[in-house]
Amino acid sequence: MATLLRRVLRPLCAFPGGPGPPAGVPFRAVSHGTGLLYPEHIPTSVLQKVLLAAGSAGMALYDPYRHDMVAVLGETTGRRTLKVLRDQMKRDPEGAQILQERPRISLSTLDMGKLRSLPEGSFGRAYLHFLDVNVASGRGMTRVSPDTRAPTRFVDDEELAYVIQRYREIHDMLHTLLGMPTNILGEIVVKWFEAVQTGLPMCVLSALFGPIRLSAQAGGVPRAQDPGSSVFSLLCGPTGAYNC
Amino acid sequence: MLRYVLSDSGHPTVKMAAPRSWALWSFCGCGWSRAVSGCRLPGLRSSSPRGPLGARLLSQEKEATETHFGFETVSEEEKGGKVYQVFESVAKKYDVMNDMMSLGIHRVWKDLLLWKMRPFPGTQLLDVAGGTGDIAFRFLNYVQAQHQRTQKRQLRAQQNLSWEEIARKYQNEEDSLGGSHVMVCDINKEMLKIGKQKARAQGYKAGLAWILGDAEELPFDDNKFDVYTIAFGIRNVTHIDQALQEAHRVLKPGGRFLCLEFSQVNNPLLSRLYDVYSFQVIPVLGEVIAGDWKSYQYLVESIRQFPSQEEFKEMIEDAGFQKVTYENLTSGIVAIHSGFKLYLR
Repeated sequence: MATLLRRVLRPLCAFPGGPGPPAGVPFRAVSHGTGLLYPEHIPTSVLQKVLLAAGSAGMALYDPYRHDMVAVLGETTGRRTLKVLRDQMKRDPEGAQILQERPRISLSTLDMGKLRSLPEGSFGRAYLHFLDVNVASGRGMTRVSPDTRAPTRFVDDEELAYVIQRYREIHDMLHTLLGMPTNILGEIVVKWFEAVQTGLPMCVLSALFGPIRLSAQAGGVPRAQDPGSSVFSLLCGPTGAYNC
Repeated sequence: MLRYVLSDSGHPTVKMAAPRSWALWSFCGCGWSRAVSGCRLPGLRSSSPRGPLGARLLSQEKEATETHFGFETVSEEEKGGKVYQVFESVAKKYDVMNDMMSLGIHRVWKDLLLWKMRPFPGTQLLDVAGGTGDIAFRFLNYVQAQHQRTQKRQLRAQQNLSWEEIARKYQNEEDSLGGSHVMVCDINKEMLKIGKQKARAQGYKAGLAWILGDAEELPFDDNKFDVYTIAFGIRNVTHIDQALQEAHRVLKPGGRFLCLEFSQVNNPLLSRLYDVYSFQVIPVLGEVIAGDWKSYQYLVESIRQFPSQEEFKEMIEDAGFQKVTYENLTSGIVAIHSGFKLYLR
């Protein structure tokens, strides 16, 4: 217990007063351009990550429409899992290519014309239909688009930050694949799927605790453990073709 | 000399500091120290050098002057805009966050400010940076209660009034505030908007006015107000000395200046705990509750950049106030500075 406490407090004692920043200011000195790993990076100490994880989990449960809280929970708890995912991507040829080229999925990079030209029943057409439904109209469900994904901020590794960003950007494609709408039930189903496929703690927590917010009338959560295509192949694979 | 600053888009860029600015700093002799990010600046004053008549220097030299925005270095023009964005972003959750961050203690601090003020019915108050109206509402409550007490005392003193005369006296009283009035002045439209909504919701109508204005250039005539307050606002002002001069200008002779602001903690143990709490917990609270880490990071940094109690006292004296005193609250986490305008300048 004492060692754990010391480990948590050690970053806080990095600057023992004097002309430097006051105690308890471990990372601010480097967060003005000199120590940022990527543009949106906010360096955080261990204690801050713990508090963020707890706070964001609580707030996400309290207000399920705070998607940014779910994102923060993912960033602060997923370090080990992200490393596993990143290594899996590296071993796959397409995955390695994606890690190198770093494609982004956003409305500006999607080729709508090409998607529209694809045959009916293909994944691309289905995704386009999903976007049309959810981006154009709200219809009582949360409006989503590839552009509403919050940028990664609290991951202290630039490559892992990309991996989690990629995971977020294919989230909509998972909705399409599973045929789930963007209401709370739909999101929980997708989270179950992601939890099984990626093992990210945030997905597991959402899948386990999300249903607390579901009313009894909504019924149970549909089976999401059907293997099908594994998520990391989505991270690596076909989506690349729809982006260039 | 390379300097890392945040450009308007929020991306870190590199700026060359103009050599003229160095000459300016060494010339002015105001005790400037270089605002290197990450360093604590106990003596930094964001004052522009003044000529012999107290007039401001020409704008071409001002462009090169830099100041602090939290622990960052920004140009003086940038600071105003950045502070505006911070408060625009936090306005909706401002009161909730105040309660969460200070565990409700900010209410006690503001109450203490009013008790120190002891306004009487008829007081004209100017509350600068008063955005969401906390001080203004407390002032209105206080003078209303005072006025009612005075009225009761008056009536009790007149023993031989009939029932009808007493009832008529109460009914005829149109002004429940006894002539008191508060102007809430803030530079930020969002904060004023929230303040007006609160006033409507809580039923404050009489004796209250909302003005959009800059503390460094108040839109009021000279010698107008009995009391000037600024609660948790002056550390966000780019030129604190100008704000103090304006305060001096708009007060009547005999008027009182009151400033409630975060200050330096005098207890070393509490100071360490306070630092840990400020830098570790508050930005997290900002992120979780308001979805805004950076604004609350700025907030805790701006507290560290503000002068100490003694230095601020000297700044207030420089602006022309007399009998300047300060009172520490909660071991110096917060301090109330008070000064009087005793001579007509």
